[in-house]
Amino acid sequence: MPSSVIEVENLVKVYSGGTRAVDGISFHVGAGELLGFLGPNGAGKTTTIRILATLLAATSGAARVAGFDVTTQASDVRRRLGLAMQTPTLDTFATGRENIELIGRMHRVPRAELKRRTDELLELMGLTAVARKLAGTYSGGMRRRLDLACALVHRPQVLILDEPTEGLDPQSRIALWDELERISQDGTTMLLTTHYMEEADRLCNRVAIIDNGRIVVDGSPADLKAGIGADTVTLQLDANGPEDLARQQEDVRGLLRGFGSLESVTPEPFGVRLAIRDAGRAIPELMRRLDGNGRVVHVIGLAVGQPSLDDVFVKYTGRRIRAEAADQPIILGW
Amino acid sequence: MIRDFFYEAWFLSLRTLRRFFRVPANWIGIILFPLIQLFVFSQLFKDIIQLPGFRSSGSGSYLAYLAPGQIAFTAFFAVAWSGSAILVEYRNGYMDKLRATPIYRTSILVGELAPLFIESAIMAGGILALSVVLGATIKTGLIGAALILVLSGLFGMAWAGTSFVPALLTKSEQATGTLSLLFFPIAFMSTAFVPPALMPRWLQTVNSWNPITFLIEAIRPLMVSGYDWAAIGKALVAIAVLGLVLQSATLWAFRRLTA
Repeated sequence: MPSSVIEVENLVKVYSGGTRAVDGISFHVGAGELLGFLGPNGAGKTTTIRILATLLAATSGAARVAGFDVTTQASDVRRRLGLAMQTPTLDTFATGRENIELIGRMHRVPRAELKRRTDELLELMGLTAVARKLAGTYSGGMRRRLDLACALVHRPQVLILDEPTEGLDPQSRIALWDELERISQDGTTMLLTTHYMEEADRLCNRVAIIDNGRIVVDGSPADLKAGIGADTVTLQLDANGPEDLARQQEDVRGLLRGFGSLESVTPEPFGVRLAIRDAGRAIPELMRRLDGNGRVVHVIGLAVGQPSLDDVFVKYTGRRIRAEAADQPIILGW
Repeated sequence: MIRDFFYEAWFLSLRTLRRFFRVPANWIGIILFPLIQLFVFSQLFKDIIQLPGFRSSGSGSYLAYLAPGQIAFTAFFAVAWSGSAILVEYRNGYMDKLRATPIYRTSILVGELAPLFIESAIMAGGILALSVVLGATIKTGLIGAALILVLSGLFGMAWAGTSFVPALLTKSEQATGTLSLLFFPIAFMSTAFVPPALMPRWLQTVNSWNPITFLIEAIRPLMVSGYDWAAIGKALVAIAVLGLVLQSATLWAFRRLTA
């Protein structure tokens, strides 16, 4: 058995319009590992997944799933693959049970086993009560779970999920995370894409940040965050219009020039964001500096955060995936 | 290999039938239009049967003349928009879900086409039954009725290509809907309403090639006079040629789409 269940070498996909959606991606996913593809919309995540799921031909490069080439051994790949795309794809005129059973039959799950497995999956996904209702009547969360059940019916060795929690309310999202964690612990190798930092952080053994069709960095969430080194201190400034804000931001920069553990100062719409090593210890001295020298900086709020995957993303791509506060901030007001 | 193919096509066909019959609007619309024509025209043009051209058809009333045509119309309507369904599933990703399972790609297409035999036959059977209620007769009895359903089913399956090819090529339901309207004149130019003897010469020429006319002229004797094996044979040949041409084109368009 190969140590890598998914192997991708130098994968390129150029669409007929000339768009280079995937621009030389290489990565490996080991047996039982859960790799998350983190990146903004249009980064090339879905294209990569479609190539791995044998739905799209790559322009060049090679990809193997469970030891089989996705182009020349597509049906061997399909037999071992469970797939759930970005929007749940269901037969809306079939019941929940019928949906799972049809996919099971296409995977040649034996009749008796199929019945048992379908019952089990309906139970697992909390759909037993609605198993005889048409999938078209299901809520968004139920559709997701039914879609996932379809992907799992043949006990795939590899599970590929495109934005598995997109469009779910927070409660359903957390419930689905629990589910995915359980599936991963059962030894299924998983690849999922997401643009939610918390999702990647919570679920993945390893995260590959993908941007403009390339993997910019790849590692465990902990290692990636440790690579940032610094904590994040956000200062909320009370400014009188954008000009005043810009002046205060410049003043903060000036006042903190030469401050020992400071690594960067980034202007933000609400004030500034500082990257500081060992922030807890540095804060008293930081505040003294900001107080001084007649320059008026109105700090009305301060938050200290550990580095997040968001910071990792900013570091490697130069921009934020979406505006989010540093996770679990400690607010010190005065 | 053949067994795998039949296994897949069988379960996919069952799914397609479920999808069709679970939405009553699907079949109500198909039945209603020919029924209205049958009911209204048989009253409106009741006396048209006195015209000399009708006598050779053997129909005793205009209703009896009209019924075979409306049965054929039903088979025609049953598949006129049939390509849209596969398009919807191509667009919403369900086809990808099936393609990511280890099945023959062609099973997906056959799973859409084969059920059209059942759908057309059942719909045509509905109109056949209703025309009997209105007063038409079936001279050849139950066996003849079964033969009518088989002919209608086969015709439906073949004719579906006129909807599948545009659907798979344009990838637009709207375009598919509009293009299927182009085939309606072929149905209206057939011998559904008047016998060829009463048609202008050019229309007679059209009808010596019109597959719908072949179908109607095979059904009519079964209802009004008796078995006309020559007419049935001609209809089967016409359906086979039509099916071969249209479904080869469908297969080509399907492979092109899912390549």
